[in-house]
Amino acid sequence: MSAAILQGVPATTLDTDFWVELPERQFVRLTAIILRLEGTMLAPTVAALQDDTLVNFLPRVDGIGKFDVAFRRAKRIRWQGMIVPVLPLELILKSKKAVGRPKDLAHIPLIRQVLRLRKKSSSPIIRASPAAGGGHC
Amino acid sequence: MVDLMNKKKFEAEHRRLGKFPGLSPDERVLFAMSLSATPDERWDRHERFLRSHGLFTRSARKAFGFR
Repeated sequence: MSAAILQGVPATTLDTDFWVELPERQFVRLTAIILRLEGTMLAPTVAALQDDTLVNFLPRVDGIGKFDVAFRRAKRIRWQGMIVPVLPLELILKSKKAVGRPKDLAHIPLIRQVLRLRKKSSSPIIRASPAAGGGHC
Repeated sequence: MVDLMNKKKFEAEHRRLGKFPGLSPDERVLFAMSLSATPDERWDRHERFLRSHGLFTRSARKAFGFR
């Protein structure tokens, strides 16, 4: 939901999901990054950063196909001094429908409303550039 | 301190959303605030909201019953 918030959905979330194209057996590499940042691993795919921000690493995101296809459609957002690729609201909506947990379904009306209202809006989003790399949040 | 640039952006967005049927006045303000903000401003607002409810730290969240 962090990506949706960054794109103007007025909601909150308690963690940030990162979709990483990495086999689960290699998630230990993510653990190394977290430890280097002096964070704490709470579970094999869940970490708490120094400021208590919770981060989830996802090997896949349901309902929206493969990473590389989604990555090409990612929006690049300027956030905290960096350009961050995030899933566009349309894909977040598809994923939430596919996952279908109560907390996902609860967000669907808000995302739909922002998609509807954002049309012709000048939301400060930088369009995808094909050369960028990284994960989605 | 009021940020004049943000205020102008907010007012423009608020006016624009006035054309959309079915939005209550409070929804119009909420969405205008969110859509007129930059990603950094949106994230700051989100964090302030969590902090205001004592939900920003893990220990506080646990006290609320979150795992």
